[in-house]
This record gives sequence, C-alpha cells and structure tokens, in this order.
Amino acid sequence: MRRLGFWNAVYTVLSKDFRTELRSKQTLVTMLFFGFVLVFVFAFGFVSDATANRRAYPGALWGALLFTGSLCVGRTFAREAEADAFSALMLAPVDRSAVLLAKMLFNALLIILVMALVAPVLAMMLRVDIVAHGGMIATLIMLGSAGFSVIGTPMAVLAVNARFAEVLLPMVVFPMVTPVIIAGVKGTGVLLGTTIGDDVSPWIQFLGAYVLCFGLAGVFLFDRMVTE
Amino acid sequence: MKPFPIFVGIAAVALVVAHYLIFVTVPMEVRMGPVQRIFYFHVPSAMMCYLGFILCFLGSLGYLFKRKTKMDLFALAGAEVGLLFGLVVLVSGPIWARIEWGTWWKWEPRLTSMLLLVLIFMAYWVLRTYGGRGEGVRRFAAVLAIFGTPNILFVRNAVKKWRGDHPDDVVTTLDPDMKMTFYVCMLIMLLLFSLLMITRYRMHRDARTAQAIRRRLGRLGGL
Repeated sequence: MRRLGFWNAVYTVLSKDFRTELRSKQTLVTMLFFGFVLVFVFAFGFVSDATANRRAYPGALWGALLFTGSLCVGRTFAREAEADAFSALMLAPVDRSAVLLAKMLFNALLIILVMALVAPVLAMMLRVDIVAHGGMIATLIMLGSAGFSVIGTPMAVLAVNARFAEVLLPMVVFPMVTPVIIAGVKGTGVLLGTTIGDDVSPWIQFLGAYVLCFGLAGVFLFDRMVTE
Repeated sequence: MKPFPIFVGIAAVALVVAHYLIFVTVPMEVRMGPVQRIFYFHVPSAMMCYLGFILCFLGSLGYLFKRKTKMDLFALAGAEVGLLFGLVVLVSGPIWARIEWGTWWKWEPRLTSMLLLVLIFMAYWVLRTYGGRGEGVRRFAAVLAIFGTPNILFVRNAVKKWRGDHPDDVVTTLDPDMKMTFYVCMLIMLLLFSLLMITRYRMHRDARTAQAIRRRLGRLGGL
C-alpha cells in the first residue's frame, strides 16, 4: 500500500471528519444550540444601559467560546471511540501527528463556524455595534478558537483513558486556555473601547504566538502521548 | 543511625529557629509593621512552589521520553509539594494584602499568574488522584505539566500591560539583619522542601511496589 504523505493524511482525516459531521450534524447542532442558550442567558443576565452592555459583551462572547469549545473538543474522540475507530486511526500507516493536526483544524473550524453565528446574535441581543470592528473581532475569534483547539484537542485524546473523562477534561482545559480567554476579552474590550489601551495588535500577536507554540508542541509530542 | 531521621530532626529544629528569627530577632519594618513578617514565609514558599513545579515539569518530560516509572513518581511528588507551597503563598499573600492594600485580592499580574499556575497543578493533582492509575492517565498528567508550566510565561506576558502593584526585587533593598533572616528562611524552606519531596517520592514508590506485589500474588492465586 502506498504510504500517504503528511499533508495528504491531514487532508484525508479532515475531509473524513467533515463528511461524517455533515451527515450527522451531531456536534455542530449541539454546539449551536448550546451557544444560543448561553447567549440568551448571558444577554438576559447582563443587559442594561448601552455602556454596561458594551462592557459585558467581551466577557459573554469569550465565555460562550469557552463553553461551546469544550463541548466540541470533548466530542472529538468520543465519536472515534464508539466503534473503536480510534485504534484503527492510530494503526493507520500515517504520521500520527497528521491525525492530531487534522483534528485540531477540524475543531478550530467548527468553533469558528459556531462563533460566527453566536457573536452577531449576542451583539444583537446586547445591542452592541460590532460591525465597525467586525474584521478585528473576527480575527480575534479565529485565533482564539485555534488557541482553544490546540490545547483542547490533545487533552481530549489523552482524557479518553481517564476515569471521569467528561468531568476531568474541562477541569484540565479551562486553566490551560485561560491566557487565550484573557487575551480575547482584553482585545475585544480594546476594540469596543471598554478596556484601557488603544491598540489591539499586542493581543493578536499574543494569540498568534500561543497557537504557534502550543500547536507545534502538541504536534511534536503527540507520538509520545498516545499508547501504542 | 540512618541519615533520614537525622534529616527530619535537623529540619524540625531549623523550623523552630526560623520562627524565632522571624518573630523575635528580626527588626520591625517601619512602614508596614508586624504584617511585613509574612514576607519571610511568603517569598521562600513561592520559590519552593516554582521549584516543585519545575521538578514536575522535568520529571514529566523525562517520563514521556524515557517511560521510567521513577520519573513519573518524581514528577508527582514535585507537583504535590509545589502545590502545598503554592497554597501557602496564596493564603499568606492575601493576609498581607488585606493590611497593606486594604483588599484581599487584586487582579494584578503576579497574583493572576500565580493563581493560574496553582489552578493548573491542582487540576494535575485531581487528575492523578481521581483519574485512575493507568498508563494513559500518567501520560495525560505529564502532558498537562509540560504544557502547563510554560503557560505561565504566557500569562506573565498577557498581563504585563496591566499596572503591577506587587512588590518586586525587595531583597536587595533590605536591611542587613532582614536580609540575613530572609536567606536563612530560604535555606530552611529548601530543607523542608527536600524533606517533603523525598518523603512523598518514597511513599509513592513504596505504594507502587506494594501494588505490584499484590498483583503478582493475585496472579499466583495467593490472596
């Protein structure tokens, strides 16, 4: 059998995941529904005058990302484990790092997709105008989702072996991604004029560095992480 | 006599000496008053906390690459002892802050990063305690320690734009008597740290051995 190259393997696993997801829409629909419920709760809890709404928006937005994101990474390997497809995936004659990278990309894209719908709905509910800074907020969300995914995905693989995996995973992932959430909240706050500072680029650089460092660390260490 | 009990004895005496130095001999800080004496516990504890987590980081890295149980147990002991000192820091700090800043807590760079560091290692500890004992969990914990420790650099970087209120670089400005007390306390804390580290490591090692023996006996139909 011909051995797949690294990027070919990434593409194959990624397209397989998209195909299964598009057929069942299981994770996407659950995440979206959960995201909208969160937005509703946050908006209902925080809505007040215009200034207070602007101040509440970054926290509510990144809170929603944190919760929908943990739902997403938790499902990554639960689906594979159902028919013991995980072992098959690990036994496949491809670089394991490629499998992890594909899963990271898949999770990041799914979170971005959900947030692309959740962020404007939250803005509407809190009556915050985000259109003026749409591009920058989108950049922050994309990098933040990637940051969540590069930490959450390898952790989800490892949690498969633990007892109480579904409880332990968020407990382990939340403190790890706190820097992402800090940068996201601060960056969004800067854009909306509620946080001190007038320049969002340090936060974007910070998120970029985070994604790069932990993404690479995960991909390089992955072979050491999983059981043979 | 075995060296370990002597070690314990020295550490016990040293702790009494440390208390005497801190509460009796060291001069009173003029501006802050008695609450400043927390400093002699607080700062060395923070150093020992970092040391424990760094040892855990190194042990985890070693475990992931060499797969030696010893290294995993070493990492676990480092995390536990580091966590203990981290809690000392997080308890003694607010007591000082209450008097000096008039508030228990501030969202300040040093405080935020320390809290996050302790939270990460608390997750590590819960994982090790309740996640089961399998190979998979040990590897999970190792990855958490490896990813978690450098996370701190990120937090420091993230919050560096915020104005910091936490005292920094105090030791060099101290009165000679205070400096002396500080260094002695540092040494004593290091002694206590090593003692706890050795004890925890041995305990985990013996527990692992006992487990292995029980499993072997079980296989022989003995127990």
